[in-house]
Amino acid sequence: MACFQRLEPMSKSLTNLWHPIASAEDLPYRHIFQGQLLGRELAVWRADDDFVNIWENRCLHRGVRLSIGRNEGLELKCQYHGWRYANRSAGCTYIPAHPADAPARTICNRTFPVCERYGLIWSGEDPTGDPPEISLLEKGRTLPLRSIAVNASLNLVLEHLANYRFSLNGDPGNLAVTTADYLDQCSLSVTATCDSKQSTVLFFVQPVDSNRSVIRGVLCSSPTDSERLLTLRHHSTELSHLREKVELDALKAPLIQPMTPTIEQVPITSYEIMMPSSGRKASLRVQVLRKWVTAEGIVGLELESIGKPLPTPQPGAHIDVHLPNGLVRQYSLTNAPGQGSLYRLGVKLESDSRGGSSCLHETVKEGDVLAISEPRNNFSLRRDAVKTLLVAGGIGVTPLLSMAHTLRNNKLDYELHYFAQTDGHLAFPEVLQEFGDAVVLHLGLSPEATSKELTALLLGYKSAMHVYVCGPGPMLEAARRIASEEGWPDTAVHFEYFRNTIEIDSSSSFEVSLARSALTLEIPSGKTILEILRANGITLMSSCEQGACGTCEVPVVEGDPEHQDVYLNDSEKAAGQRIMTCVSRAKSPRLVLDI
Amino acid sequence: MIKLFDYILSVNCYKQRLIMSILDVPFESIPVDFYPGLEHKGEEFKKINPLGHIPVIDDDGFMLRDAHAILVYLASKYDPTGLWYPVNSPELVGETTQWMLFAEGTTNTASAARLHVNLGYEFDIDSCREGAHRLFRVLDEHLWFREQENRDWVCSGEHPTIADIAIFPDVILSEEGGIARIDYPAIRRWTDRVKRLPGFLPMPGIFPTADARPLSHEV
Repeated sequence: MACFQRLEPMSKSLTNLWHPIASAEDLPYRHIFQGQLLGRELAVWRADDDFVNIWENRCLHRGVRLSIGRNEGLELKCQYHGWRYANRSAGCTYIPAHPADAPARTICNRTFPVCERYGLIWSGEDPTGDPPEISLLEKGRTLPLRSIAVNASLNLVLEHLANYRFSLNGDPGNLAVTTADYLDQCSLSVTATCDSKQSTVLFFVQPVDSNRSVIRGVLCSSPTDSERLLTLRHHSTELSHLREKVELDALKAPLIQPMTPTIEQVPITSYEIMMPSSGRKASLRVQVLRKWVTAEGIVGLELESIGKPLPTPQPGAHIDVHLPNGLVRQYSLTNAPGQGSLYRLGVKLESDSRGGSSCLHETVKEGDVLAISEPRNNFSLRRDAVKTLLVAGGIGVTPLLSMAHTLRNNKLDYELHYFAQTDGHLAFPEVLQEFGDAVVLHLGLSPEATSKELTALLLGYKSAMHVYVCGPGPMLEAARRIASEEGWPDTAVHFEYFRNTIEIDSSSSFEVSLARSALTLEIPSGKTILEILRANGITLMSSCEQGACGTCEVPVVEGDPEHQDVYLNDSEKAAGQRIMTCVSRAKSPRLVLDI
Repeated sequence: MIKLFDYILSVNCYKQRLIMSILDVPFESIPVDFYPGLEHKGEEFKKINPLGHIPVIDDDGFMLRDAHAILVYLASKYDPTGLWYPVNSPELVGETTQWMLFAEGTTNTASAARLHVNLGYEFDIDSCREGAHRLFRVLDEHLWFREQENRDWVCSGEHPTIADIAIFPDVILSEEGGIARIDYPAIRRWTDRVKRLPGFLPMPGIFPTADARPLSHEV
């Protein structure tokens, strides 16, 4: 028939075709649909932003089906040990057994392409070309029929469907004459003609496995409300009859072995060790989708990926932005896991800008392409606190916004305390509104008044409370001091500095032994450990290179580090087991590092 | 207080715990060593139930056995709304009874398969599984059309009934008996709705699901 556009050449392999794998109505609010295509089980879920996720139905941890998990709106939570995976990227965002650690970026479930069209959800193992466009379904209104699962092979089901008969008025005693046309190797149209009236159903047969299929029919017209249920019932009944016949035939046919889909080996590196590949890598290219003034002196930037999808933004993570003027700067992601496929940053124009913030404010415009690093998370959020306090000073609110989103989505108890000059200085006011009463504003306070407020809100520490602070140096110092005075242990106080204002003394010279590399190096005055390691071919990841972000951390086996960073807390510094190689040095003549 | 002669892994005992939790009826669970002790088959227990099975309730001296009979009793006595066992509507009470009898079928197929797999009961496992799939096909089609009529439950009213409570446990634990539900998407959605009922109670193998969409005034 001329009105059908052929979907694909007949010769295409089933793995290269788009198949319908669910009905749109199979994916109601916060549900996880269990699907299967070509032997592979799928967990299919619609997120709160309407994005449809099609994943391997298997938790990367213990292989349990994700379809028995929980659709939490922007994350899917495995029922077994509570691993969470983000909407869109399928990256792991939280491992309850390791609440203080950010899961490695490489823990990411396998996703499959998705297209929602004609009331059906389409996907495929490895589909080539665009999802099918069917002119007959484009034209008018359509009605998806109830899907029918059949224990028979694709070809057997198609054979029977070619002889499918139905009635135009829903009367089972009055089945019309039908004609069938194959569209491709998985679908056909069946048209019934009666008294010069016609009705056409398109059937897409989903190859679930060698001996199992699902018939997904779409009626190429939309009956009136009164006829709608009658039509749906009629087809459901007639297709059930057809199923009985197909299954009887299938029992006679020789049994074909079930398909064995290959489960990709996902590289799961330990959540504790993120093995650095090299220095400041900018492996991602993004385009500035939107740039706007979100508050006095603060611009918001939305960055969209060019090419492969962006890795999962974990709460508290930051990226390096490589600026057109050659500078590299770190900015926190403000959006939470599962919130869109872009990164949202907030950048304050610093009065003493050395070219970073001024470049983003003045030079970079919408449509520009920037190179960024993959996100790193050295300020990760626990989700096992009885209560979480988020304390923001000025632009320090940015990482705390992604945390607030996450805590809110997980229905955990939290407060976001936001210290700013005036309400005109509040970044992302539309986002703050979403948090409702959880936001407490502290506006226009002097340093003394700020300390007083901090004391008030840090009063009454209880076990398993956690506080996250990000803001200007003096405020952070005050918050850390007050928290300590109010009985907060170091392990419950998490902080992130914008920059390290400690004047770095690089006059010492000492020896560094690398325990795993069997190498001993001299660190002369004026050179950092990081520089000497790199000069000797030891690759080490780094980001801010001023002792604020924690990326270039290395474990210490022996020796007495001279800490000059603002990343480690006092007890971590006293323990002397970790060192920031970009700024810190040695008090002892020799340091042994675990690399 | 109501005493429930109870076993944690029994679907029929769970049906009683679930309805009492939903109706907010306090009860005392009297554990019966069903497995491996077979206490319900012993002489002592036969004084409580000569048929030698659980659940049995003792409501202040009134003894009642058989899971679906107990559901009728509890809903009739402790649901002041009269919606769970809708005796005021001949159609609804008829439907409720019809689906309670359907639940006898799911118990004798799906839950029997589970007893065979988990506790080694001697049943014809293939016939249990085939029977369960036959019933699930009927239930799935039925629930799919209920959704088309904007109804959430097995009976045609707007409110769930004890028929939902009677069928749900057999269905939700079917995978333990080797009966997959992948072919029954409407059943899978209905089990989510049951799990969202206020007062829902989990048991080993039955987990809570994500919350329902908040009502507009709660957003």
